[in-house]
Amino acid sequence: MGDLTLLYILFAPFAGAIALIFVSNRQTMLVRGIAAGSAFVSLLASLYLFYAYDHVKGGFQFVQQFEWSRQLGISLHLGVDGIGTPLVLASSILLFAGIFVSWHIKDRTKEFYIWLLILAAATIGVFMSLDLFFLFFFYEMSVIPMYLLLGMWGSHTKTYNEMTDPEGLKLRDSVRFIFNFGSNSKEYAAMKLVLFLSAFAVAALMGILLIYKYSGLNTFDILVLREQAKLMNIPVLGTTLDKIIWILIFFGFASIAPLWPLHSWSPVGHAAAPAATSMLHAGVLMKLGHFSIIRVAFEILPETTRELMPIAAVLCMFSIVYGGFVAYYAKDTKYVIGYSSSSHMGYVFLGMAALDYISLTGAVMYMFAHAMATAMLFAMAGWVYDQTHTRDIPSLGGLSNRMPFISGCFVVGCMASIGVPGTVNFIAEVMIIVGSWNKYPLQVIVAVVGIVLTLAYLFKMMRGLFYGPMDQKYSHAHDAVSLPDRLPLLIMITVTIGFFFFPMHLYNVVRSGVDPLIAKITRVVPVASQEHEPLGENREARAHASPQDLAALPGDVSPLTPYMSRSDQ
Amino acid sequence: MTFSFTMSPSDLLLLLPEILLTVWLCLILIVDFSFPRLPNEQLAYFSIAGLVATLGCLVWFDVAGITGTLFANMFALDRMALFFKMFIVGSTILVILVSVDYIHRFKFFRGEYYFLVVMSALGMMFMASANDLLSVFVALEFSTLGFYVLVAYLRDDMGSNEASIKFFILGIFAAALLAYGISLVYGETGKLVFSDMKTAQASPGLAIGFLLIFAALGFKIGSVPFHSWIPDTYHGSPTPVTAFLSIAPKGAAFAILLRMFLVALVTFKPIWTLLLVAASILSMTYGNIVAIAQKNMKRLLAYSGIAQIGNVLIGLATGTKMGSDAMLFYLLTYLFANLGAFAIVIAVSEAIGSEEIDDYSGLGRRSPFLAFSMLIFLLSLAGVPPLAGFIGKLYIFIAAIKEGLYVLITVGLINIVISMYYYLIVVKKMYVSEPHDRSPLKVSGPIKVVVYICLAGTLAIGIYPQPVTDWVVSAIMMFSNVTDPTASLPSSPAVIPFGG
Repeated sequence: MGDLTLLYILFAPFAGAIALIFVSNRQTMLVRGIAAGSAFVSLLASLYLFYAYDHVKGGFQFVQQFEWSRQLGISLHLGVDGIGTPLVLASSILLFAGIFVSWHIKDRTKEFYIWLLILAAATIGVFMSLDLFFLFFFYEMSVIPMYLLLGMWGSHTKTYNEMTDPEGLKLRDSVRFIFNFGSNSKEYAAMKLVLFLSAFAVAALMGILLIYKYSGLNTFDILVLREQAKLMNIPVLGTTLDKIIWILIFFGFASIAPLWPLHSWSPVGHAAAPAATSMLHAGVLMKLGHFSIIRVAFEILPETTRELMPIAAVLCMFSIVYGGFVAYYAKDTKYVIGYSSSSHMGYVFLGMAALDYISLTGAVMYMFAHAMATAMLFAMAGWVYDQTHTRDIPSLGGLSNRMPFISGCFVVGCMASIGVPGTVNFIAEVMIIVGSWNKYPLQVIVAVVGIVLTLAYLFKMMRGLFYGPMDQKYSHAHDAVSLPDRLPLLIMITVTIGFFFFPMHLYNVVRSGVDPLIAKITRVVPVASQEHEPLGENREARAHASPQDLAALPGDVSPLTPYMSRSDQ
Repeated sequence: MTFSFTMSPSDLLLLLPEILLTVWLCLILIVDFSFPRLPNEQLAYFSIAGLVATLGCLVWFDVAGITGTLFANMFALDRMALFFKMFIVGSTILVILVSVDYIHRFKFFRGEYYFLVVMSALGMMFMASANDLLSVFVALEFSTLGFYVLVAYLRDDMGSNEASIKFFILGIFAAALLAYGISLVYGETGKLVFSDMKTAQASPGLAIGFLLIFAALGFKIGSVPFHSWIPDTYHGSPTPVTAFLSIAPKGAAFAILLRMFLVALVTFKPIWTLLLVAASILSMTYGNIVAIAQKNMKRLLAYSGIAQIGNVLIGLATGTKMGSDAMLFYLLTYLFANLGAFAIVIAVSEAIGSEEIDDYSGLGRRSPFLAFSMLIFLLSLAGVPPLAGFIGKLYIFIAAIKEGLYVLITVGLINIVISMYYYLIVVKKMYVSEPHDRSPLKVSGPIKVVVYICLAGTLAIGIYPQPVTDWVVSAIMMFSNVTDPTASLPSSPAVIPFGG
């Protein structure tokens, strides 16, 4: 493996997709085998990557660079830091699990797996791009497969309007007059998703182009730009250029995250998508937003980030509360999980907004943890839908008799989503809350209310689906009994619980990525705390290295104040 | 002005591709008359053989670096001319290949069809080399002559006749504007060769003259506000002719526009940038918004073509070397995506006899190959990675942002999103809607070849554009008198050793 690990992770799914083109659709097992095989290669390589990543050294590792276009200054520059590594791992776990979750797709199986593999590979590509061009390239590449996956294998939401508006007022989706199809159809969801994400992606592209122009370096390389780009204090249109770029980048990428009020494509998209697509979508695609903000805005515009990140702190409250309340009143399983995802993404924004070592580490860990938890819920909602052909919670009930394994896993999934001790989500949530308390106490209170809301709507859904009296028409529903059906859930549960008991490697890896970033943004060096015995050595090494790094920073260097945050104590 | 008509053999060498094609043109006619029972495919392959020989000759010129000018600078064979000649000959080959099965729809003069196509191609090759206003006029009318007949080839079809009349009247009108513009410019400057006009002083007559010339060329490329013939003519023409019209004349006209704006009018750059920015914004916005309402595939591609030309005009509006590189690059990506899409329109119309978007329902089930290829071509037109169109758009935007054309780029980016809507409507029909009729479609061999070539081009340029970028950069490098030769001389990106 070694240096080429990233190439294996990225190109194994692409290779699988290309191989699938030459296989007949009738050889179903061969199709599934190739898809699962290529995903497995990717999974193995990313497991290797995760454990081989040297968190003591930190920085970007496994770096690969190939010149791609001399004239435009683009190179295929791949590399992961402590933030990208766990997200690459999460993507390949979810891809592997997603292939088994969609084991029973009968219609155009081959095409389904081709698009699923391309979707996952493009997502993975974003997490390892060190070139702005390729970051955007893979980002945009992940959008189109979503359209086809939703359109071809998705399902309509029959009573979307009635469910969300008790008075029957069809106020929602008033853009319908532009689109000549119904607002509750999967076509509508797919088109909305693509147009929405593309519209905001081009805003981000404008930001990227502005960085390219004003840096004057003729390169898209993030590592070069973050060291040499001088974008500060250029007056434009009554404000400064860096603010305009930051706003374009932030809102361009926050739409996929999805930050309130840019979330409206997301629940519709989740609801229409087939189970495996929802898993990847909610699990990792949404994290592209946070990740790209961190990679582009945090790395290249640290000063502006410090100045403008409070925007995220304000908007994340609305995300958390709005998502939570809608999820409580939604009656469609996938809407509940979809809105719960967009509510939970508010925590990540809170963790990012606080610009604190602990909270940002928590935010990245939460991205990883949430990927597993929400993917589990979507997988099971998909299973229930396959068995009963409905997602309407009031008409379901008592399914735990018919599917004890699924209902058992569902409890674990809900626990993980809520963040009960025993799941890695708990650690991440606590870190976000503790880390941001100093700076944003109000938001932390809102976040805690959000956790209570999560508890309420997930338990309500669990009761609605699995307990109480069962309608006899569902007596034919099956449990997941075969290995391919159980495997994805078992993998995700193992990861969720496993990282609760052994979180240190995940923590160290993430922390090694977060430290230089926060040091650069806040210009405050972390002081190694004696209580963190297992970390002591590494942290000390970093604390020693940091002042030199900081001294090399461009611009006015404020005095480096030794600082110990309360969360570090 | 004196013309020297003493030609040495080395002068003749510069004309070799044109001479070769002229000889072949006569051969096509002779073969067609001498063997009336010869199957049409044979004649098609015979024409293709000549075009391939010409293409080979052009490639040899390009590799060997044979360039020069003839007839007192009237005919310039630089590497840009070679690029556009290859562009034109290549697209002609593909157009003849897609015509092979379409030709049975013509009742008469099937042989002459190939003759006319090759003749137009010959005219456009001269356009690519035209370096003064007189040769522009002659070459432009020579190439259009063939098109007037080709558009009307479906004799019994009212649509085809209407298309032809519309094209003819507006074409003649554009020719008149061109002639009038040339007379004004000659009256003001006393010069005809582009490179001699650099010293011209600004005067109202000169401005009006060049505006008229721009209008005539705008008619050829179909940019707003000179686009009104495009939808009906595209709709009514035989589809291979539409495909031809949508590619080759635009390439040839852009060769002239590049010479006109970057050589003759280089001193007036601030003025014509505004003109081109306006034309570009109007073309993109109008083309994309009207395309949303289309129900017919050919009309959709016609309006999408208007919008795409708006994108190419961004490159011209920058007025830099990099912008010109990007234009050439974009035209090449457009060639593959657009010709590929038209090849599929022909294949579908051969199989089900319809060009309505509604009849593409369920194409994904009836012919996965056609649907997948169409998906790739449309997404490339929309500008989705990893396809050629994305790189082309980005190249143009990068060139434009270096010149600070922010408004233009913003409009261009918004238009990407608008265009995505109508391309995806077609994708939705093909993949999501259920077919009216489930019988699989049969695709003929020559069309398959074209689709494969276009697929290969679209994917290869999208995944690794370096060879093509090198090519377009060197094509413009040899094109003398570029405004700012240092504009895109790249400093190779610094590679920071990292992780060690």
